[in-house]
Amino acid sequence: MRRLRALWVRLADVVRPGRRDRDFDEELASHLQLHIDDNLAVGMPPDEARRVAIVRLGGIAQTHERYRDRARLPFVDAVAQDILYAFRTFRKNRGFALTAMLTLALGIGSTSAIFSAINAVLLRPLPFADSDRLVMVYGVARSARGVDMHDSVSYPNFADWRDLAATLEGAGAYANRPLTVTTAAGESRVIRGKQVTPSLFGVLGVRPALGRAFRPDEDQPALSRVVILSDGFWRQRLGGDPQVLGRTLQINDTPFTIVGVMAPDFHIDVAEMEQLYAPLPVDATRNHEFLRVIARLRSDASARQAQADLDEVCRRLAQLYPRTNEGVGANVEPLVDAIAGPGRLALLILFAVVTVVLLIACTNVASLLLARGATRQREMAVRAALGAGRGRLVRQLLVESLLLALAGGIAGLFVADWLARGLVAMVSDVAPVPRLDATRTDMWVVAFTTSVSLITGIVFGIAPALVSASTGLNEALRDAGRSSTGGRAPRIRRGLVVLETALALVLLAGAGALTKTLLTMRATPPGFSAENLLVVNLYMPPTRLSALESRVPFFDATLARIRGLPGVRDAAFVADLPLSGASDSESFHIPGRPDPAPNRWFNAGFNIASSHYFRTMGIRIGEGRDFQDSDTTGAPGVIVINQTAAKRFWPDRSAIGQQIDLPVTRQKTVRLTVVGVADDVRHVGLAVPPRPEVFVNSLQSELTWPSVVLAVRTANHPSGLADAVKGAVHETGTGAVLVRIDTLDAVIARSMAQPRLFTSLLGAFAVAAVVLAAVGLYGLISFSVAQRAHEMGIRVALGASRSEIVRLALGEGVGLAVAGTAIGVAGGLAVTRALVGLMAGIQPNDPLTFAVVATMLLVCACLASYVPARRAAAADPLMALRAE
Amino acid sequence: MADVWQGTLALMVLKTLEGLGPLHGYGIARRIEQTSSNHLSVNYGTIYPALLKLEQEGYISSEWGVSENNRRAKFYRLTRAGRKHLEREARSWELTTEILSRFLAPRESS
Repeated sequence: MRRLRALWVRLADVVRPGRRDRDFDEELASHLQLHIDDNLAVGMPPDEARRVAIVRLGGIAQTHERYRDRARLPFVDAVAQDILYAFRTFRKNRGFALTAMLTLALGIGSTSAIFSAINAVLLRPLPFADSDRLVMVYGVARSARGVDMHDSVSYPNFADWRDLAATLEGAGAYANRPLTVTTAAGESRVIRGKQVTPSLFGVLGVRPALGRAFRPDEDQPALSRVVILSDGFWRQRLGGDPQVLGRTLQINDTPFTIVGVMAPDFHIDVAEMEQLYAPLPVDATRNHEFLRVIARLRSDASARQAQADLDEVCRRLAQLYPRTNEGVGANVEPLVDAIAGPGRLALLILFAVVTVVLLIACTNVASLLLARGATRQREMAVRAALGAGRGRLVRQLLVESLLLALAGGIAGLFVADWLARGLVAMVSDVAPVPRLDATRTDMWVVAFTTSVSLITGIVFGIAPALVSASTGLNEALRDAGRSSTGGRAPRIRRGLVVLETALALVLLAGAGALTKTLLTMRATPPGFSAENLLVVNLYMPPTRLSALESRVPFFDATLARIRGLPGVRDAAFVADLPLSGASDSESFHIPGRPDPAPNRWFNAGFNIASSHYFRTMGIRIGEGRDFQDSDTTGAPGVIVINQTAAKRFWPDRSAIGQQIDLPVTRQKTVRLTVVGVADDVRHVGLAVPPRPEVFVNSLQSELTWPSVVLAVRTANHPSGLADAVKGAVHETGTGAVLVRIDTLDAVIARSMAQPRLFTSLLGAFAVAAVVLAAVGLYGLISFSVAQRAHEMGIRVALGASRSEIVRLALGEGVGLAVAGTAIGVAGGLAVTRALVGLMAGIQPNDPLTFAVVATMLLVCACLASYVPARRAAAADPLMALRAE
Repeated sequence: MADVWQGTLALMVLKTLEGLGPLHGYGIARRIEQTSSNHLSVNYGTIYPALLKLEQEGYISSEWGVSENNRRAKFYRLTRAGRKHLEREARSWELTTEILSRFLAPRESS
């Protein structure tokens, strides 16, 4: 404590040094006076009295010195001096200081902006108790049919995992269920709902704000007619009525009793903001995979241990139930990562990108400092000659770079705040990333920015400081002003320029690969005609439209009504619209042909479509026919396949009339005949090459599918028909619920929006990187020609032409850029490969992309070196020589 | 010797102030010199960093005043914390010297 007090007093005296010094002056004078008085009293002559007093004191200056060491903190003193000195040099070199600061502000600011997003999405704890112990457990099925990833889990498997895995303290499961809520007025609406196991709320550690959670026995079907509301649903639909408990709600035509209301902002998964919770009834089918599982790890277990534990449990289950569980595994992922979803990869890639930008900014500033070090050689030499040790000089230079970095960091904080706002606004329009909207420039971001600033200050400052401070004293003083081109500093600067060129190329290559993909998407004909097509998403409530018998009248009635509307050319149903992102695949046998491998059948994308589907979509049927109205439930089963499928499965003959055997249930297989071969359509994404696809007829498929798309081909722009179509769907009275109505053009634009956003983000950062690299190169060449002005002057005097001088200076810059580009290509190959997970259809290692970006970079490099080279050539050789 | 000097000097200063009441630096230095019967002849100047340290630690406080022969001088006085500190330090010092002297004393013949 006493030490701390002393330290505090000393620090205070560092800040205001004058007062104590004056005070001590007086105290010493008084001391000497008292001593002299005593000496005089014993009869010394005055001169002698004074001399003895000073000698016994131990010297006035020496005493002062020792006193000052104790009065203040010598180290802090010196650093404070360094800081003052640094400020003075910056004021003298405003251009340099400003350039360095802005460069750093950009680099640090972009890094902090992405960090603040990562902090909001990935680092901030979820709003659940001890949320770091919560994990999502996905189901992984490596089926006999090949590698097939499922992420849902069947009820019995969930229950076994929960009961058998010792590393799990508890587990709950839920299924996303669109629920039809009917109001008193008889109007039906589809509401996002979740069926949850009664244990789920306990696992998450949450309780309803009003009422109660589900009781353990409410998973019994007889007791499960209860519902818990989200706060949003309660407020918007029921006016926040506190008397709501015990009332009933018509859900899927069944009365449910309201037993609770959750707290505001509570959502199990933020990506799918559910409005209602109902108990999940026990389901005994082991191969009915429809659940998401959230588990709480025991406090002493890690996610890795839980993974090992579940692997073992899955192995045992596979032995017990080989028919259903062969190859079924579990995959444990922290809940926070699971919720972030694909946004996580995008954020991490962006963070890597901005780190590279920051690295380039650092190299630039380091290069600037080195150049400045060269002009300060004389100053350093003089200070060394006056007794400053090497450590002192290095400290001085490091203090300067740390100050620059901190100033850059402070400015960067504003840049970060601005960038983060922009980023969040842009992203939330296009691709909702859960929790991204909570991005704030908070304490964590400030702390991050400060640490990054300090680290960058050291990173870019250390090499220049060491180089500048170690210049030979003699050398520097002797040829001050006439620096040679050799030496360590220029070599390091050239290395730095190569490095930043390489980094810039890596980013350019990434941005290039994305752009190429985007261009491919634009240029690719989707295979259908998107104009004048209305797309209606319908939900078929399982209570009314789950069986094929109930669907047939719905399909028939709706199509008849819609096709009869004026202005409608045709209409058809389909399960998955092209480019919607959804895609199912099924495996099948081909009669009379062996399977491709034991236990591996033929596999293709499967879709369900009604009559006139291909005509409605404008997809050309190359061979055979479209589905017709005569392909009804009783008629022979027919399929239409795409060209890729025809070539893959029947390469040597016409596919028309060929057959496949599709297993529908474990016991039953249906035989389907190919009646048409349609042109390929980009189904998964515009940049993804078509895959084999099989369309089954909607009137002949017993596959259960809860939602369907009604495509309506119109004669003119379809927006005018939206209301008529809506009305027609409603009037059929079959119970289908309209979810969304849109034009296909809009759907396609949406499928492009996300890749476009990411491409422009990465592109912007890549451009920033190239600009920074070009500035670095420009600075290096300007400096280099300035340093070699003497040499250039001699060359010109000896008859070298202007263009030769230009070539000389240009050659240096371009040589460095070529070296950087070559190194960057290697890094770029790795980066484009990493991007594949982000955007479907990216081609890594595309030579054209690399050629284009390398050329772009080299052109920039040429320009950046040409400007100073021209200036060097234009200089008067006489002036250069006389300047000595 | 220097290290012992640093520690003991502080103790001597405190003890002097306890015995004589408020006193200026010169007076303290002279007093220590006299008490040690001139065994300790160091520069008077060393007293000042020691005084400063004690003041920074809050064991003594200082104030300008007038000496008996009418000279302006800075007077140091013991604070309450300083009195306690002195007691503590004196006790521990006594213990140390006692132990040491037992070690160093000529062994009694057995």
